[in-house]
Amino acid sequence: MFAIKELFGSKLKFSLIALAIGLVVSLTMVTSAMSEGLLTGMSGAKSRLDADALVFQRDTYPTIERSILSADDLDAIAQAAGIAEVYGMGHTYASVGSVDEPFDVRVFGLGGRMDQLPILEGRVASEPGEAVLDATAELDGIGIGDEITLTPMDATLTVVGFTEGRRYVMVPTIWVDLKTWEELHLATLLGVGDDGEKADEMTAERMEEQFAGSASVAAIDFEPGAGVEDVQRELGDAFRVAGIQDAADAGNGMPEMILAVNGIQGVSVVIGALLVGVFFYITTLHKTSQIAAIKAIGASNAYLYRDLILQITMLVAVATVVGTLLALGAGVGMPPMMAFDPDPRRWAVAVLAIFGTAYIGSLFSLRSILKIDPATALGRTSA
Amino acid sequence: MLAINDIVKTYGSGRTRVTALDHVSFSLDAGRLLAVLGPSGSGKTTLISIIAGLLTPTSGEVVIDGHPVHLRSSAEAARFRRETIGIVFQEHHLVSYLTARDNLLLVPHLSGRITRDDRVRADELLESFGLGDRVSHRPALLSGGERQRVAIARALMNTPAIMLVDEPTASLDTERGFQVVKMLKEQVHERGMTCVMVTHDLRMAEHADERLMLRDGRVFTE
Repeated sequence: MFAIKELFGSKLKFSLIALAIGLVVSLTMVTSAMSEGLLTGMSGAKSRLDADALVFQRDTYPTIERSILSADDLDAIAQAAGIAEVYGMGHTYASVGSVDEPFDVRVFGLGGRMDQLPILEGRVASEPGEAVLDATAELDGIGIGDEITLTPMDATLTVVGFTEGRRYVMVPTIWVDLKTWEELHLATLLGVGDDGEKADEMTAERMEEQFAGSASVAAIDFEPGAGVEDVQRELGDAFRVAGIQDAADAGNGMPEMILAVNGIQGVSVVIGALLVGVFFYITTLHKTSQIAAIKAIGASNAYLYRDLILQITMLVAVATVVGTLLALGAGVGMPPMMAFDPDPRRWAVAVLAIFGTAYIGSLFSLRSILKIDPATALGRTSA
Repeated sequence: MLAINDIVKTYGSGRTRVTALDHVSFSLDAGRLLAVLGPSGSGKTTLISIIAGLLTPTSGEVVIDGHPVHLRSSAEAARFRRETIGIVFQEHHLVSYLTARDNLLLVPHLSGRITRDDRVRADELLESFGLGDRVSHRPALLSGGERQRVAIARALMNTPAIMLVDEPTASLDTERGFQVVKMLKEQVHERGMTCVMVTHDLRMAEHADERLMLRDGRVFTE
């Protein structure tokens, strides 16, 4: 009760402390959201795929760009024990050339579960030649109903919807059905010669036959009780199985990026903890004579530490609210291309870390409370 | 009744050893106010710190109502002060963010929780010290004399057997100082407490029931 009265009795001092801690909380949350945005921008297309795991062509993991599975491979995978469902997923490079400023994209084909894409605007692609684009493509001037031309394959797609959180290596993605992807992929492989001529008919036919029903990787769901190791054992060396998150966190510099991101967040939390610890340590030092007097009239160390913990809890709680509002405000004010993807789970972890480290920081204050000699309240200065 | 039996208190060791109290003995009946006089460094503060359980004597013992005081830990000493001792400091040491009433209620709060009776008692004490219209004032809004009266009222909150008062008039002018000592004496007589008041001011000491002079840690005269 009196600990709370102290907070209200020194409103300015404690408001400033709460604001400072709030800024740290906000910094932690903003860096967390930006980190999450960065990671989603790098591998959202993989990490948010509706599947338990991906199956890669032998020796290509974790590079989805190099993996290719034939129709027979997909059939073999579908037959393997431990696998409940399979659908192919294709990947190819392209650029959207039908706009004022052409931009790079990654094209993904889905052999099933097209409705897994959350639709922000428009609808799910239901016909060959229809495409759902990541919403960041809107910033490049694309709209629903637009006919976009992909280069170098010179193919045209109709934009029917926009999805979110599905970027790949920081560029927008285009989602089509697997048949459409197969055509785009084949066109990319066949290419266009310097003279504008496409590959000869015989080569085209041979490759069409070779890649019919193919995909880059297979997205699989496990049967109950089965896991990556079980399916890997079943499929043998011909394929490489990886859990969705593991696959998303590998390749394209992701491990290094994740380390850097975790490092930034760790440093933010440590700085926050030190700040809280130092604030209360200084506050305790300023109250030395008062604490000595209260101890002299009978306060135990436990009573004083309990008061301190109550104050820290209240201040960090207020700071969390302030910090969250500031972080959300920062997110609203950020340009759309800026990676900002608040993850409530990560934010909760950051807040818990601030609370936890604040309590650890309070041990500095406890040390000084224990050292305060109540006899000094009666004017004694030496032992 | 308070009895101080052959108390010795030394600080340091070897060549830096200082004897603050040198075989000090006296006794004081309940309902009596004792003024402890002496120059700076004579051992006055050490004496009341030992009675309060803030310091442990090198030898000798403090006896309250026939029971020797043995405090084995800081927690036990804290409980002893909460239950048996009332202290009035030289610099009042009121908690700046608490009102006069809350400064009094801090005492039962240290023991656990504040009851309705505690609130009534706090208001009655403040009323009896002429501070009925100051219960909701913080120390910064009180005069020096009012603060010292609140400090005395706080020391009385736990109905102590022993009251220890350290230079209560040091920061007051003579007139206010007399008022405070007079009020203190009334309370001691009225409540039947044993009170030890440290002062360097002979005029204030004249109002006490008994006087004890310390010089270089020894009882000089009585």
